[in-house]
Amino acid sequence: MQLKHRFVLPLALVLSAVMLYPVAFSAWISLHDYRLTRLNDVRWVGLDNYTFIATDPGFLNAMGNTITFVIGAVTLELILGLGLAILLQRLVRFQNFIRSTLLAPMFITPIAVGLMFRFLLNSELGVISHYLGEIGISIDWFGPQLALFSIILIDVWQWTPFMVLMFLAGLESLPKAPFEAARIDGASAWLTFRSVTLPMLRPVITVAIIIRALDAFKVFEYVFAITRGGPGDATETIMYYIYQAGFRFFRMGEAAAAAFLLIVVILVLVIALVKATKSNTEAPNDV
Amino acid sequence: MFSFSTRPARIAAFFAIVLALVVVLFPFVWVFLESIKPPSLGGRPDVWVFPPTGDNWNNVLFQSDVPSNILNSFFVAFATVAIALLVGCPAAYAFSRFRGYHGARYSILAAEMMPPAILILPFFLVLYHLQMIDSLAGVIAAHLSFVVPVVTWFMIGFFDEVPRDLEHQAMVDGYTRFQAFYKVILPAVRPGIGAAGVFGFVLSWNDLFYALLLTGGESRTLPVAIAGYWTFRGVDMGKMAVAILIAVIPVLILSFFIQKHLVRGIGGGAVKY
Repeated sequence: MQLKHRFVLPLALVLSAVMLYPVAFSAWISLHDYRLTRLNDVRWVGLDNYTFIATDPGFLNAMGNTITFVIGAVTLELILGLGLAILLQRLVRFQNFIRSTLLAPMFITPIAVGLMFRFLLNSELGVISHYLGEIGISIDWFGPQLALFSIILIDVWQWTPFMVLMFLAGLESLPKAPFEAARIDGASAWLTFRSVTLPMLRPVITVAIIIRALDAFKVFEYVFAITRGGPGDATETIMYYIYQAGFRFFRMGEAAAAAFLLIVVILVLVIALVKATKSNTEAPNDV
Repeated sequence: MFSFSTRPARIAAFFAIVLALVVVLFPFVWVFLESIKPPSLGGRPDVWVFPPTGDNWNNVLFQSDVPSNILNSFFVAFATVAIALLVGCPAAYAFSRFRGYHGARYSILAAEMMPPAILILPFFLVLYHLQMIDSLAGVIAAHLSFVVPVVTWFMIGFFDEVPRDLEHQAMVDGYTRFQAFYKVILPAVRPGIGAAGVFGFVLSWNDLFYALLLTGGESRTLPVAIAGYWTFRGVDMGKMAVAILIAVIPVLILSFFIQKHLVRGIGGGAVKY
């Protein structure tokens, strides 16, 4: 065997065992009527699971919730992250302390974050709800109207730091000359930001959005910790839907089909995103 | 505090940062207060001053399963990271150095993005047939599916930054390629190994999804135990607060050491800063 392959062999073996084999097995499950309660009676059903899932109102609702969640959370995180990164870059005192404090949420186990906010926003026990009530604002954070939005806010609390981290690194690596030129030309701060900073940051922004969006599609812990998909099915996300289908209703075939449909949706969105940002970067910059 | 040119901009920036700090820190402060509140005041949202008590901490640390949950989480994360580094480092080195691995680089990234929903069903079924549900080995196998790609991806970025002259010189001096990798290149990327290891550790330590479905009873990890504090049957705020802090504190300390290296790792050699 060639030397270079020997370096890669252990990785290839491990990934075959924990990824390739499970994915192939999952694909096989998705083509069968595979129920945990009837393991002796597994029947080939072709694409039936796929057609069932693709037309199941529950699945479509979960997909809609998840896409709303991903778009809402990533957009807010992008804007807040960019703003905070610019502030932190201009910070001249207490830099280390403030930076590491603001980055802290992204390292915490999401189930703890979910339970913390369930506690803080609870309508009777929650300190935030209590003091909002004192000044006459009563918000039912986990009621039917707001539950999905509250879950988005929790995700923003935990993951804006990731955007800050990426953008800070991006900002610090930008060359100084274009900013000097803009200053000499008398460009306003806003114009400098729009026509110098943003275009130069674009590759970092694209990577950050893709990584964050792919991760946000997997949202499960906040839903599990707080709403269990409710009220009704207002916060049921794809991961939670698959969890229910597979491990509460024991319909493994349908759960597997839903997981593969999720991958298709993710792939389409990633390709669209990469295409959109590519054509933008190739457009001439009038700086 | 800020290098903005006008005074109003500096003042606005100051308040924005203070607000951000409050938003980030307040939940921790409140959870900490809850953890030392006497049980009679537990869950009261309007109590700030009270005689602190260590009852909750005592209870969770000495009379509950949490210490064994901590050990489980630690063992799983440690074993996962050790295996991930062992197989990930040589592969990442090959991806960084040898021709013909351009596609492999990006399939590692694709592996990193694989939704756990696809993998959990086979893991569950295989472990079920092997009668290994409730074993730590099962969780370790499942965690390898996301920690190995992340660690490998991190290491590609760090190897890319080591000049090729280093191992060429070593090989001129009579080392084989593998010796050069092992004795010269690996020591040169030691900070990267540390950062990748710590990041992988944190990912495994934080996982709920796999652990929830593949462990139970004796083998429960810390996130699963935390989730058990607030169920439809009720909640014990004080004890849950303690458990949350126990899960969070070690990770925050670890993360402090790797922040510098994190960006290069996440970029994985795909993004040049």
